[in-house]
Amino acid sequence: MNKLSKLIIAGLMTASSLTMGALSVNAETVLRLDEVAVGELDPAKASDYADSILMFNMYDTLILPKQGGPGHVAHLASSWETDGASYTFTLRDDVKFQSGNAFTAEDVVFSFERTKALGAGLSYLFGDIESVVAIDANTVKFTLARAYAPFVASLVRLPILDKKLVMANLGDGEGEMKDWGQAFLSGNSAGTGAYSVVSHNPQEETVMAKSSSYFAAMNAAAPDTVRLRYGLEAATVRTLIAQGQHDISSQWLPPEVMKALVNDGAQLFKEAGTGAFYFKMNTTKAPLDDVNCRLALANAFDYETAVKMIAVTDDVAQGSAATGAIPVGMFGANPASNTSSQNMEAAKQYLADCKYDAAEMDIEISWIAEVPLEERFALLMQSNFTQLGIASHIKKLPWALFAEQVSKAENTPHISQLFVNAVTGDPDTLLYGMYHSSVPGTWQSPEHLNDAEVDKWLEAGRAGTNDAEREAAYSALNKRLLAIAPTIYGFDRQSVFVASSRVSAPALTDPSKAFGLDGMGFSFRLMEMSE
Amino acid sequence: MKRIIFILLSNPLSLLGLFLVTLVIILAIFADFIAPFPEHRGAVVDFVNFNKAPEWPYIMGTDLVGRDIFSRIIYAYRISLLLGVFVLSIAVPIGVTMGLIAGYMGGKTEYILMRITDVFLSIPPLVLAMSIMGLLEPTLINGMLAVTVMWWPWYTRLVYNIARSEKEEGYVLAAEIIGASKTHIIFREILPNCLPAIVTKMTLDFGFVILIASSLSFLGLGVQPPTPDLGSMVAGGATYLPDSWWLTVFPGLAILVAVFGFNLVGDALRDVLGAD
Repeated sequence: MNKLSKLIIAGLMTASSLTMGALSVNAETVLRLDEVAVGELDPAKASDYADSILMFNMYDTLILPKQGGPGHVAHLASSWETDGASYTFTLRDDVKFQSGNAFTAEDVVFSFERTKALGAGLSYLFGDIESVVAIDANTVKFTLARAYAPFVASLVRLPILDKKLVMANLGDGEGEMKDWGQAFLSGNSAGTGAYSVVSHNPQEETVMAKSSSYFAAMNAAAPDTVRLRYGLEAATVRTLIAQGQHDISSQWLPPEVMKALVNDGAQLFKEAGTGAFYFKMNTTKAPLDDVNCRLALANAFDYETAVKMIAVTDDVAQGSAATGAIPVGMFGANPASNTSSQNMEAAKQYLADCKYDAAEMDIEISWIAEVPLEERFALLMQSNFTQLGIASHIKKLPWALFAEQVSKAENTPHISQLFVNAVTGDPDTLLYGMYHSSVPGTWQSPEHLNDAEVDKWLEAGRAGTNDAEREAAYSALNKRLLAIAPTIYGFDRQSVFVASSRVSAPALTDPSKAFGLDGMGFSFRLMEMSE
Repeated sequence: MKRIIFILLSNPLSLLGLFLVTLVIILAIFADFIAPFPEHRGAVVDFVNFNKAPEWPYIMGTDLVGRDIFSRIIYAYRISLLLGVFVLSIAVPIGVTMGLIAGYMGGKTEYILMRITDVFLSIPPLVLAMSIMGLLEPTLINGMLAVTVMWWPWYTRLVYNIARSEKEEGYVLAAEIIGASKTHIIFREILPNCLPAIVTKMTLDFGFVILIASSLSFLGLGVQPPTPDLGSMVAGGATYLPDSWWLTVFPGLAILVAVFGFNLVGDALRDVLGAD
């Protein structure tokens, strides 16, 4: 190579590095993450983790959970006051929707009415609200039908919609409100959120873009674009992160895959437990309609091994030993030292008292196809039940099919494995939707339980006027649930995610900034991209 | 017969095929004695030894609940072979009989039988099996039935073509002239002349049946856990690639060995028996 050509190459290299440097200053940052399909964009229908991530980024709520501790802070509201039976919120007057429309009390009333009218998602949280009235443009009053202790907490699940925009986009339907904008909101966002939807395919991907004029705190280095993909295989996520083409995994990656990625230099994000991993037994289907049979299975389960299976590294695990129906840290939980354990003798005794013949049983143990770890729990259970002389078979169900099947008791498998969270951080939202007999069958309630005493304690916990009353109600509930065993309480969970070094998320790494509400740690506006 | 054996043994590929097939059959039959951990074929978990890379005594490693993969592959061969025998022993007699009748009788009989066959042939085999499995519970027996339903038409098509040309041959005409019954002509005169082609196709198909059954269980529609099955072992392990490679690679190789072995033997038989 002669001198001239060397000079030319050196010149080209300098020029290209200069250009790249200039580009990186202005480069758009993209955050890529994944979750289980389906991504539901309509906030009134949001219920699972993917839906929550979408909701918390496109919409805002009157209040937010306080970071790093219990309680709530004002968000779209500037303050609130209560006399016990009603709550009056004063709203911020400087907030605009993504459309440019001003945010007013009418939007709050509309959002509440729409949620109630559709009756989907988490609308059951608002069953005890008698009326919501706009006093003036910046004041809104909620009146409760009866004492409802978790009311303020439940407002983190009432995203506020842009009434004008939705009304201008009503689809086909009967009555004045036609379809309540369902067709429009299934593909568009209409909130005040820090991000707006660019494109949305509920089975594949949602692309979101950062809003230029957000009213609350936003990290200057928050991602410009977010690509939330659905239904990626664990092996795909593992390869993509290793190659630097993916930033945050879902929490459903098996611990072995997480461990391999950590060994490659990835970091772990954590969202501390407001939920648990449950093995839910269909209490309407023989032989599990007999309490003794359920107790036999609950005693035969190997809790110690279950906890060992979820260790990611020496000091991080996807959960800790369960102590009963209520995760440690919530009202009514048993002490952390009081962990459940396998007791084969008791199991045999309960089985002997069961009215069904063990030899004729064939328990259907289902697992969710998108969560490979559950297959191992299914095999563990199958092995435990075999020791007891009970035959079982394992069934793999995709999430969408499972969620549809559980709406009817007769289609619900004997045992369903589920991660369930307190959707507002309050035990009421963990347990009411799961066990109250008035709640229709959803993915949270494959037990289809109908027990008057459980209903009574759930209502007492809801109506409790102070912490002591609520603690007593939930303690009694916990005791009752352990006595009738509608569920095998696997472990208290902690969500763990693998992330590349490109992204930092204080709400998912620093306990003093954690929200204590599942999914809210994924507020992209608080994240920081390092490139 | 001696000539056949000589030709088979003198071709290295045939020899390799024979060796692989024999190996698979021996492993399957004597699984209880060969498998280091026979109990691992069932609902057993051993979380002390889970997800281990190949090392003694787990020469192919362990799966995510601590079961020995080598033992499970051996038992999975048993299921695969059973499936092959079941499918072919039902599909072949049905397919061959229909082909013989259609080919020899001709006319309306031929028209009806062959149109039914065409309907089955027009649906892609895996799609047909999947739709059947969608209707039925995914169990071993139903998996066998689903594969059987998609398999017989190929024999009908094959035998029909041979029977049609054979029925013009002198020996068939001679049998007709001396007043032999149709059953006699079909099964005693024409069938023996179709046998080389049938035997060759059966040997080749044995491998394909194993492959299709593995595909079904890969999709979660075949044999259900904890029964070991090569397809579902590959599917279950795929999640953990590339780190826990032994979960996928060894069951995958096991499928390769069986299918490759039967194909080589099938090819060799085709050469020997002159069937095309």
